[in-house]
Amino acid sequence: MNTSSHELIMCVVNAGFSDTVMEAAKDAGARGGTILSGRGTANKAAESFFHIAIQPEKEVVMILVDTKIKDAVLHALYQKAGLGTMGQGIAFTLPVEDVVGLTPWKAEDKPADAPSPKTKKFEAV
Amino acid sequence: MAEVKKRNIMKRLRPAPDGHSRVSMNRLKILVTIVPRAKADFYMDHIQSFGVNMQLVFFGQGTASREILSAMGLADSDRAVIFSIIREDKLRVALDSIEEKFNTIAGGKGIAYTIPMSSIIGKSIFNFLSNNRNQVGRSEQ
Repeated sequence: MNTSSHELIMCVVNAGFSDTVMEAAKDAGARGGTILSGRGTANKAAESFFHIAIQPEKEVVMILVDTKIKDAVLHALYQKAGLGTMGQGIAFTLPVEDVVGLTPWKAEDKPADAPSPKTKKFEAV
Repeated sequence: MAEVKKRNIMKRLRPAPDGHSRVSMNRLKILVTIVPRAKADFYMDHIQSFGVNMQLVFFGQGTASREILSAMGLADSDRAVIFSIIREDKLRVALDSIEEKFNTIAGGKGIAYTIPMSSIIGKSIFNFLSNNRNQVGRSEQ
């Protein structure tokens, strides 16, 4: 169990753009995320004032990342799925503590090598 | 004299350097548990046994690659995200127990983490969320 070594990135994007978000996040070093679907609301008066249309169907992507790569992932999300893109995404982070259940993983490990010993271990259990 | 007393009270009410109030009896946290959907009810029942009175579950999709999924012994990417409001003093034992379940239950691998709650309004809601049964009894007398 570790304290403050991870942060939770929440990225709210238009429905259908969660793949873009995950691609950008994985390029920046994230390992995986969880997608929730939701419905956004916006101030109608503000929408007409700023001449923008808010699509109500949204997807929320929750990505738990190491604090070290948080800025890189946020930057990638801003570039690939930010408000200036079709995804119209906003991203923010929440501090998290007491993370349990993450499998130790090094970015330099080749995915092809990693599963074989671990799979054997699980089969034995 | 009254001025000094008032100043002392104000000092106690002023938030701590980390931004949290100093006056709370027991702090609450949001425990987020992400598990395979088939195991959601099991984990919710388990978490409830640690004095948790309110839980929310959302159904979502995991995005881990097939290699990582198979390495973790997981079959599909349907996930349940459980938000539980839990007392900070119950957290250690709850997390230890959840971690043990992650490692022992077949197909029950998941992750859990907590988010600190900075404020809440309403005495009865606070008592409900922190399972303060003796406080409720006292106010009724």
